[in-house]
Amino acid sequence: MNLAFPSREFDDAVAGVCHGTATEEQMRGLNHLLHHHAAARDEYLLRLELHSRLFSEPDLFAPVGHESASPVDPDPGMVPFPPRPETKWAGWRWVLALAASVALLATGWWGSQRLAPNERTGATSRAVAMLERVVDAQWNSRDEAPRLGAPLPPGWLRLKSGLAQIVFYSGARVGIEGPVELQLVSSSEVTCPLGRLVAEVPAQAVGFRVRTPAMKVTDLGTVFGVAVSGGQTELHVFKGSVDFQATAGTPQQNLVEGRGAIAQGTQAPRLMTANPAGFTSLFELQEKSSAAEVVRYEHWLAASHELDQDPSLLVHFDFEPGNSAKWRLPNTSRRKDTAPDATIVGCQWVEGRWPDKRALEFRGVSDRVRLKVAGDYESLTLATWVRVQGLDRQINSLFMSDGFAPGTIHWSVRSDGVLGLTAIGAAAGQYQICASPPVLTLDQFGLWVHLAAVIDGNARRVTHYLNGVPVGETTLKIKPPFRIGLAQLGNWNTQEFPRNDPFMIRNFSGAMDEFCLFQRALSGGEIRTLYSAGKPQPDLSRPDRN
Amino acid sequence: MSPDSPRRSEDPSAAQQRFLSLFLRSEREIFRYVAALVPNGTDAEDIVQQTALALWENFNAYDSSRPFTPWACRFALNKAKQWIDRRQRWQSLLDGGLAEELAQRREALRPEFEVRLKQLESCLNKLPEDQRSLVEGYYYRRDAVETLSAASSRTVAATYKTLQRVRQTLQNCMDSAARAEVVGP
Repeated sequence: MNLAFPSREFDDAVAGVCHGTATEEQMRGLNHLLHHHAAARDEYLLRLELHSRLFSEPDLFAPVGHESASPVDPDPGMVPFPPRPETKWAGWRWVLALAASVALLATGWWGSQRLAPNERTGATSRAVAMLERVVDAQWNSRDEAPRLGAPLPPGWLRLKSGLAQIVFYSGARVGIEGPVELQLVSSSEVTCPLGRLVAEVPAQAVGFRVRTPAMKVTDLGTVFGVAVSGGQTELHVFKGSVDFQATAGTPQQNLVEGRGAIAQGTQAPRLMTANPAGFTSLFELQEKSSAAEVVRYEHWLAASHELDQDPSLLVHFDFEPGNSAKWRLPNTSRRKDTAPDATIVGCQWVEGRWPDKRALEFRGVSDRVRLKVAGDYESLTLATWVRVQGLDRQINSLFMSDGFAPGTIHWSVRSDGVLGLTAIGAAAGQYQICASPPVLTLDQFGLWVHLAAVIDGNARRVTHYLNGVPVGETTLKIKPPFRIGLAQLGNWNTQEFPRNDPFMIRNFSGAMDEFCLFQRALSGGEIRTLYSAGKPQPDLSRPDRN
Repeated sequence: MSPDSPRRSEDPSAAQQRFLSLFLRSEREIFRYVAALVPNGTDAEDIVQQTALALWENFNAYDSSRPFTPWACRFALNKAKQWIDRRQRWQSLLDGGLAEELAQRREALRPEFEVRLKQLESCLNKLPEDQRSLVEGYYYRRDAVETLSAASSRTVAATYKTLQRVRQTLQNCMDSAARAEVVGP
């Protein structure tokens, strides 16, 4: 084919190349033309550039109105939130075959252009905490006002008046009352040269430190208050105990519940009785949080009962043991005939997303939940709420079918934070690892996160989700049907594979407080709904103003 | 090795974060570099995916004193060529060194392209509603052409043709807007 330039044939051939529909003849024609005709080549490149720009610059299609736009009563102190991504570009899209031995499968990734800054920080931020709640907060006008729900990097928070509550990634919760200056040093340390704070430190955040000009306080699992003014620091322990050391150089001392201390300059600290009077508003703030948590928990309970009515839900563990035997994990879905109650091996019952919610903690190499799911399925969706304590193993199992039987699946988190879904093919040695980019980072350890994987056998696609947002999409090359058979949560039964190989030890380290398995591919919207119904914090895009 | 064995075990988080931050910043550019050779969105993505893997695997060899994007684009060119080598049709298009030639020429033309593409957003906003929604469906929502056709009661071929025309409209608009800017009001 001889192409002229300019010509309609040229236009059609270029469009065909863009759309992937050009014939071989058109392509050959273009090859010849572009080699010999400089103007045609430049025009060709310009058209392709326009085409690829449209693909790769989603910002061009600025969304019109988004969910944070509140029609009523805009709060002048509240900065609006960035729009939520709603398109397929919302997530990272990649297909990643990792092991050197995997040669047969497509590989790669495609990163997102559209993650809002506060969502992208999960992967790359230095954030140490999140601003959870404010009441009439007036921030120092010199600083940029922190946004509610935004991750907070190390640095200063200066509150002129009002109240604010900060949740550290270690799990510690600090309420501050203006005027206060607080420097976030790390997820387990703050400096407070001025002002009043109450720290509530759960077990996983023990060791949280507060430094003031006059003393250093190390928490041992407590609630304590600190008030700093004029170089004097008051410490009040309301619950549990703390260690403190005065800057004056006195030895470290332990203070228990109901006790307090005052330190100033070089004088030895004075001991006293803890006095909650000065911290009343901060306690009220904490109480409001607890009340909000009860509401969240009840919302989730209601949503969870409704979810159980879905006939495509094969397995639902709500980790609310009720009166059942300690070793039994009831399947609350309507499909008990297909997937009976599971058996708990080892594990500890601990607190879940809210104080009233139960969770199972996996810690030891033998901790696991064993279950069996019958049947062959074209598509499957897995979803769970977990608190990752660490990614100690190279492969950390979320949910794995035993062994490597054809059609079965392994869902796991790799040590570098990659979410993986391995589908085992029918032929010997055939499998595909569908992986997200490394999305689970240290930032998220100790926090409840929602993970989901959708295996769409019809569209031949596997999509990973983190907190309701797609983070990886892979073209699925293994054909349905998929099956579960005997499987485990939080661990893996290797069956005939060598048990002493370190790759074969895959126990999960952390807690799980909900697990769902559907026999269909849930849409992105449905995954978002699951996440929204269960997220531990209030909806950050509609801040509660109190 | 079991199938889902990890690829690397050395302190992954620091390298991973560094890599991600570099890659994210360069990603659109790498995509456009690849799309100048293989402009079909899905195929270009495939190649970017393979490039990303290669970059991550070779990240130890990256000299951080040098810019990341050109380094990454070298991998992208290789991956694109490997991809093309397995596809007869694309070979006919890019045979005889045309791939390298296009990549080089594009580099030279980029400043000029930028002048025009600056106008793209305002040109998009001038499109009639039905055209804009088609462009949005195809490029932004990445809907299948079959879906877009059904939604607009066009045939698939007519949908492709409309997309082609809309791009031409956009290009004309960018050209005249860019000219107007050079000439002044």
